[in-house]
Amino acid sequence: MRNFTRRTFLAGAAALPAFGQARPKRIAIVSTIFRLQSHAQHIGDRFIVGYPFAGEWHKPHTQVVSLYVDQKPANDLSEARAKEFGFKVYPTISEAVCCGGSKLAVDAVLIIGEHGEYARNEKGQVLYPRYEFFEQVAKVFESEGRSVPVYNDKALSYSFEKAKTMRDTSRRLKFPMLAGSSLPVTWRLPELELPLGCEIDDALMVGSGGSDAMDFHALEAMQCMLERRKGGESGVKSVQLLEGDEVWKASEEGRWSKEMLRSALSRSDNLKGFTVTDGRTQDMVGTGVLPGLVKNPWAYFIEYRDGTKATLLMLSDAVGDFNIAVKVKGKPAIQSTQFLLTPDPNVTYSACLASKIEQMIMSGVAPYPVERTLLVSGMLESCLDSRVKGHARIDTPHLAVEYKAPRDSQYCRS
Amino acid sequence: MAGNRPKLAAVTTVYRKMAHTQHIIDRFLEGYGWNGTHHHPEMDLIALYVDQVGADDLSRDRAARFPAMKIYPTIAEALTCGTGKLALDGVVVVGEHGDYPKTPKGQVQYPRYRFFEEIVAVFRSSGRTVPMFNDKHLSWNWEWAKKMYDTSKEMGFAYMAGSSLPVTWRIPSVEFPDGARVSEALCIGYGGVDSYDFHGLETIQGMVERRKGGETGVKWLQAYRGDKFWDACKENVWPRELMNAALCRSHTLTPARAGFNDIFPTLDDMRRLVRDPVAYRYEHNDGLKCTMLLMNGLVKDFNFAATLEGAAKPFSTQMYLPMPDGRTTLADFFNPLTYNMEKMFLTGKPTIPIERTLLTTGLTAAGVDSLYAGQVRVETPQLAIKYQPAKDSTFWRT
Repeated sequence: MRNFTRRTFLAGAAALPAFGQARPKRIAIVSTIFRLQSHAQHIGDRFIVGYPFAGEWHKPHTQVVSLYVDQKPANDLSEARAKEFGFKVYPTISEAVCCGGSKLAVDAVLIIGEHGEYARNEKGQVLYPRYEFFEQVAKVFESEGRSVPVYNDKALSYSFEKAKTMRDTSRRLKFPMLAGSSLPVTWRLPELELPLGCEIDDALMVGSGGSDAMDFHALEAMQCMLERRKGGESGVKSVQLLEGDEVWKASEEGRWSKEMLRSALSRSDNLKGFTVTDGRTQDMVGTGVLPGLVKNPWAYFIEYRDGTKATLLMLSDAVGDFNIAVKVKGKPAIQSTQFLLTPDPNVTYSACLASKIEQMIMSGVAPYPVERTLLVSGMLESCLDSRVKGHARIDTPHLAVEYKAPRDSQYCRS
Repeated sequence: MAGNRPKLAAVTTVYRKMAHTQHIIDRFLEGYGWNGTHHHPEMDLIALYVDQVGADDLSRDRAARFPAMKIYPTIAEALTCGTGKLALDGVVVVGEHGDYPKTPKGQVQYPRYRFFEEIVAVFRSSGRTVPMFNDKHLSWNWEWAKKMYDTSKEMGFAYMAGSSLPVTWRIPSVEFPDGARVSEALCIGYGGVDSYDFHGLETIQGMVERRKGGETGVKWLQAYRGDKFWDACKENVWPRELMNAALCRSHTLTPARAGFNDIFPTLDDMRRLVRDPVAYRYEHNDGLKCTMLLMNGLVKDFNFAATLEGAAKPFSTQMYLPMPDGRTTLADFFNPLTYNMEKMFLTGKPTIPIERTLLTTGLTAAGVDSLYAGQVRVETPQLAIKYQPAKDSTFWRT
């Protein structure tokens, strides 16, 4: 093992892993920005200082050996981290994955391209260079004739075409690839796992925050539930994004169910409006406050190829957390749960995600299919296309992404 | 309004935003999220007494919005609804928050005992009792608390009390194994003496009461504060292993170092971060030792750990409070507490043994006494309280 400082040794001493003599897995982190609370910092640090897991301070049997950082603002932490923990920040991605040499020198690559100053396109998507990062990593794999597992944080890319190329490359070069959000793997209140193979009559997710950051999380949380339906994932046939009064009108037209929204909101610990004014609990659907309260609601309508329909409502003025309601055929009641996003600065939900990344690094098998994230990346892009095309319904033949859900969705229960 | 819906009165100290009264009584009036819908209790809160009405009062607003609820100037009038006789099927007492003097030991003299006495006076004069819920501990004064308990037994009414901690979500969602043998149990929480210490004690007691043989009572308690706390910590007066396990359940661990968002603290880090640490160390009559730690500045949640016989590592979980201090807007840990009250009002049977809260009330007072006497060990023969836990778990899972 490399030299830890005394402080980090003590930090890890709460629970040293019981691995044998095998050398730690060497990790390269390829990131946009490494500042406090950026994804690269809070996910990357899990592999540097460990993380709380299952009642212990878990120290992965890993060693971050190299880091690439695309942007270094004044609050950059990459150099300080590298100095303290004995790794290097390299000026290029290929140098990072080769640790300055000419050959691939790591056992896994984490591509964390969230946060940093990047332009937005006309759809409002931040043009994070995840595809470009990935391509440079894959180029090394290809020239080497050898690949290692890759984790890609959040959406694969703002562009489905690029995302699909990334997934195709991982298949062609035969390396395990994991991607996506923490929401599918964080704790659920209550613990709710849809039985594999269930028939879904309706699904509605309610969330908060802007596009294209938080809507991605919400769509992926919704997808990790829906992919468990009978027949497995078959892809998406069409999408539509509505805004403003059209969202409420869509409910009157039966496109989304108020009962489903009531159930989803019943799981929220973060209602706005009167709750903020005087603390009261609210049945926002029953009292009818929503249209007056929510200035700019967005509704994302997803129609799957097998006919299943799902809706995401982003109601930032009404709610501050992420909750789903699902009506399963044969179950009399709507089922619902909250995907728990634990508070800053610990954001322990990212420890749930780190444990899945670690599982892939240690086992060489991605614990859940990257196609989930591929499909959600495309779903979101097409929803935003719908918005710029006058909120039209858009056919999505390109989103015929088929995959099988894992037997266990692997959200955190420990 | 159906005729068989229980009618309730609430007897409270103060009804302002974020006071316990607002959290609890609003849930009866407005309903709350439960079991996947917006649940309205199958009962009607028709009478309200508020001891202190300040500029930030909400009771008048609530009475205007819920005209079925009338505000009465005295507790007796609230309970009789002006008829001269007990006119209700249940009473909710919320005596938390409001401006009340402190004892020389620093305890806020919330008038829960006075409220109780005035309520049972109506029971007596009406020749009839109804179930009563008392929020938090029974009283700051042990003698009074014991009298409240004894009176409830003598008069034979259903009586339930306590904190939200034992009934809220747990992360992970685990129950203390029934009949487990346990040698040490510990909670790390935050907040002040005669306040959140009670929540920490209820966190522990709601778990360990399920151990083999049930509850046997507590024989002594010693409090530690300041330097003595750190000395005791260093000397492993309580198990470091359980501290570590509890801290690893926290979602609010203050980063010990600048530039890190989640890093495990050393003891030196803790000493630097924690303001005025407090420990209550106590031993049960069957030998179980428990430790309640308040570590302000290190955590803002309540985490439990215990050493179970036969287990390779500590049993641990967080009692999760969605806390409206900026993290959430709704104190939804009052949902399961309210739901448990409703069950009592509907069935006439408490879902949680009152002896749990009698014991934690006594432990809170013993902690205050130990601190006041200079952090000495205090013998607690009065806390030889034996009881068996409720068969069904009451923590929030649905």
